[in-house]
Amino acid sequence: MQYLNEHTFIGALGHFFVVLAFVTALIATLSYYFYHKSDELQWRKMARTSFYIHALAVLGIVGSLYVMIFGHYFEYQYVWQHSSVDLPLYYLISCMWEGQEGSFLLWIFFQVILGLLFMRKAGKWEATTMTLYASVQVFLVSMLLGTYFFGTKIGSSPFILIRQLPEYVGLPFLQNPDYLSAPQFQNGRGLNPLLQNYWMVIHPPTLFLGFASTLPPFVFAMAALWRKKYDEWLKPALPWTYFSVMILGTGILMGGAWAYEALSFGGFWAWDPVENAILVPWLTLVGAAHLMLIQKNKGGNLMSTFVLTFITFLLILYSTFLTRSGVLGDSSVHAFVDLGLNGQLLLYLFFYIILAFGTLFYHWRWLPKATTDDRLWSREFWMFIGALTLTISSFQVTFTTSIPVINKVTAGLLNPFLTTFGWSEVAELAPPIDVIEHYNSWQLPFALLITFLIGFTQFLKYKKTEFGKFLTNIGMSLGLALALTVLLAYAWGFSNALYTAMLFTSLFAVVANTDYWMRILKGNLDYAGASIAHIGFGLIMLGALVANAQKEVISENPTYIAKDFPANENILMELGDTMQMGSYYVSWKGERKEGLNRIFEIDYYKSDGTGGLEKEFTLEPFIQLNEQMGNVAEPSTKHFLTRDIYSHITYAEPEEVRAEKMATGYGREADMEMAIGDSAIYNRHFVILDSLALDPNRSRYEDGQPMNLALVAFLTVINVSGERFSAQPAYLVEGNEVTLEESIVEASGLKFRFDDVNPDNGKVKLKAFTDVSEEKEFIVMKAVIFPYINLLWLGCIIMIIGTVMAIRKRLQRN
Amino acid sequence: MKKTHIAVIVLIALGIAAILSTFTDASTYVSFPLAEKNAGKQFTVIGYLDKEADMNYMPERNQFSFTALDKEGNERKVIYFQPKPQDFERSEEITMKGFATDTAFVAEQILMKCPSKYNESTEVDNTYN
Repeated sequence: MQYLNEHTFIGALGHFFVVLAFVTALIATLSYYFYHKSDELQWRKMARTSFYIHALAVLGIVGSLYVMIFGHYFEYQYVWQHSSVDLPLYYLISCMWEGQEGSFLLWIFFQVILGLLFMRKAGKWEATTMTLYASVQVFLVSMLLGTYFFGTKIGSSPFILIRQLPEYVGLPFLQNPDYLSAPQFQNGRGLNPLLQNYWMVIHPPTLFLGFASTLPPFVFAMAALWRKKYDEWLKPALPWTYFSVMILGTGILMGGAWAYEALSFGGFWAWDPVENAILVPWLTLVGAAHLMLIQKNKGGNLMSTFVLTFITFLLILYSTFLTRSGVLGDSSVHAFVDLGLNGQLLLYLFFYIILAFGTLFYHWRWLPKATTDDRLWSREFWMFIGALTLTISSFQVTFTTSIPVINKVTAGLLNPFLTTFGWSEVAELAPPIDVIEHYNSWQLPFALLITFLIGFTQFLKYKKTEFGKFLTNIGMSLGLALALTVLLAYAWGFSNALYTAMLFTSLFAVVANTDYWMRILKGNLDYAGASIAHIGFGLIMLGALVANAQKEVISENPTYIAKDFPANENILMELGDTMQMGSYYVSWKGERKEGLNRIFEIDYYKSDGTGGLEKEFTLEPFIQLNEQMGNVAEPSTKHFLTRDIYSHITYAEPEEVRAEKMATGYGREADMEMAIGDSAIYNRHFVILDSLALDPNRSRYEDGQPMNLALVAFLTVINVSGERFSAQPAYLVEGNEVTLEESIVEASGLKFRFDDVNPDNGKVKLKAFTDVSEEKEFIVMKAVIFPYINLLWLGCIIMIIGTVMAIRKRLQRN
Repeated sequence: MKKTHIAVIVLIALGIAAILSTFTDASTYVSFPLAEKNAGKQFTVIGYLDKEADMNYMPERNQFSFTALDKEGNERKVIYFQPKPQDFERSEEITMKGFATDTAFVAEQILMKCPSKYNESTEVDNTYN
């Protein structure tokens, strides 16, 4: 059949570009491989040409997808699913990466852009590195193919028409050639409102650029082995590695900032599996960068340098698997849907694991080994310890995050084996009850060690340091950090020994690196990159520690429930009332609706000292009525220089409930399903269903058929003092019309109404309500003070600046 | 022995400790009766909301109670001392972390899976013909 108004050309073109990108990446891989083997220039020409065509094809895919999105071609599943006509330009742009296919595309896109730059800069490494680089493109582009190969799904294409989806093939609406004029094809589902935030525009691109940026260090390390030039790769690889540290780090921190600003996680880091999955490769990447530095300056730890560089890239693949396979469904708030590509993702992961470690194992015998032991007081020794700490820290996070994967493995491999021997199966593990406590108990000591190492290692020289001189140099920073720690720990009332130690080490990291930069480097900016990045990292740790250790939940429920019960962390506020909350007085002034958001206006006051109140600021937390995700509470935060006041609505009555209350004066609806003789307890009353009867006066029969029916429930209501009342709600049927007649018990403020009658089991469903006309509207809110969280954000910026300076210096040296 | 070797041994030891601690800290997915056998001990129960049963949120005490069915179909009252989660009625699956008492399961944390959360399925109304 010929369908009307479909834009099939652009989809076919997009798909053509996908196939072209796939084929050219394959040709580039092979020709680069032959160039690597033969050193013949015609292979290089062919490889470069195919990579250029590959790059153009990738741009073509992106372009086609944008033509579809901007043209609102809702016959395409991806466009229908992720965009709508009413979105402004910047959200239309971010529609592309809302779905999984699009985020793969974003990754491919950045990898191509980096690849073009990399190809030009790789010089004599080009043949070997680009063989691998292009091979990764082959795998990634295959994720978009959307074809079936011997019954196995290869990739998922964003260029599929809705009518081509298996669930719609052959349905009646497709008999109409003009099906696109149907109302449901006039607009798409749009970008999830929760994601309609400026972070959605900047965070995913940064993160995927970060993903892509881990590839150059990996291919350099692999090429070094293949070409047996075990040391020469470090110099060209270092700037790329620093770049990756910076971009990936920025991406992660942006995620934290997004969570803090716009999501009600109640903080910037929740150890959610999705956060962990991306933090871990960053940790190993930082470790790898430091090992590369040691190896370049002094040598002796080639093996560990290779291992960490490989692991970083492999962990990026693993985190892609974790977040996209649906395996985290039960343990993460960000659950992704399984696109049925698990096999492909695993193949991709195992291919590179075997390739990388197989190559390393094979070259083991030729790797130069260190003959002498590192000196204790040398920079390389402590940097090595630092890299080891990062490795073990990332191992711990990975292991716990992988609990769902461990379950799959035990269920798939171990349990069948155990049961054949008659042994009992291994139970399915669940993540720790208190996940945050579990991670913190491990990661806090690691962070403590790392910040301490950051503080003094720069003062050590490579190879040999005179210990006395080192002590004199470091003494001042140690003393200053110690004095500051005593002062601050006293001022803030730190009682936890570990927190106090961490306060010291992070202060020491900041102070010592500042000192090193000012005194040893004499404030020189050229070589200050490392010091400045380390100051930034120290500040991040300091900010995270203080904001978490000193955070104060000020919203307390004045009703005593039990000590330390979480219920005490929420405040119940009635409209217009002013209540004390911490050192503030708060008042809920009202509510308004803007689009999908129910915005609550909360005024914060301070006492003016004379008994009056002075308004300080207004916060507007809101609840988004999000059809795709359910209602979502979004916080509102007042930022001061030294602290943030963060608040979000934890409960507000749904609009329908409130509307019913306003209209009828009754609320607290409850359902009761009863048979004759059953009783129920509602709002401190006993409710008994004595009998059900048809009211003869209101029922009418015609030719033996019931025309009008009136079913009455006879209820006895008994209050706590034993007083009895009766209620008779009725279920009226007139022809096809059903009327529910309410029955009010004035004396106890209750109301009853039928909901449904079930003739099969003789039970009736009744609804009970309470008179709430005297009750005020209320909301429940949580408010937290995060002190000095700005140190964390300041640290992020300083760390990024420092890394950029270090990259610049490396590039100059090359 | 070289210092690096010592460091690597410490690394391996810490690695083993991390694995062990994961297994010690990890809770297990259980049914309600199993949780009740060890009342007071913390467990994770995955279940579904019984949409027919009463659901009650008392804002003044900040206590929310509902009835849940675990995967084996055992029905229990669950108490949650937190505000009622947004859109609780729409939840498809509930992960409850907490402990059993003789009257109810006390949930300390609740994670909900909503049918529409990150739902990728195309729900085009296909009644048109």
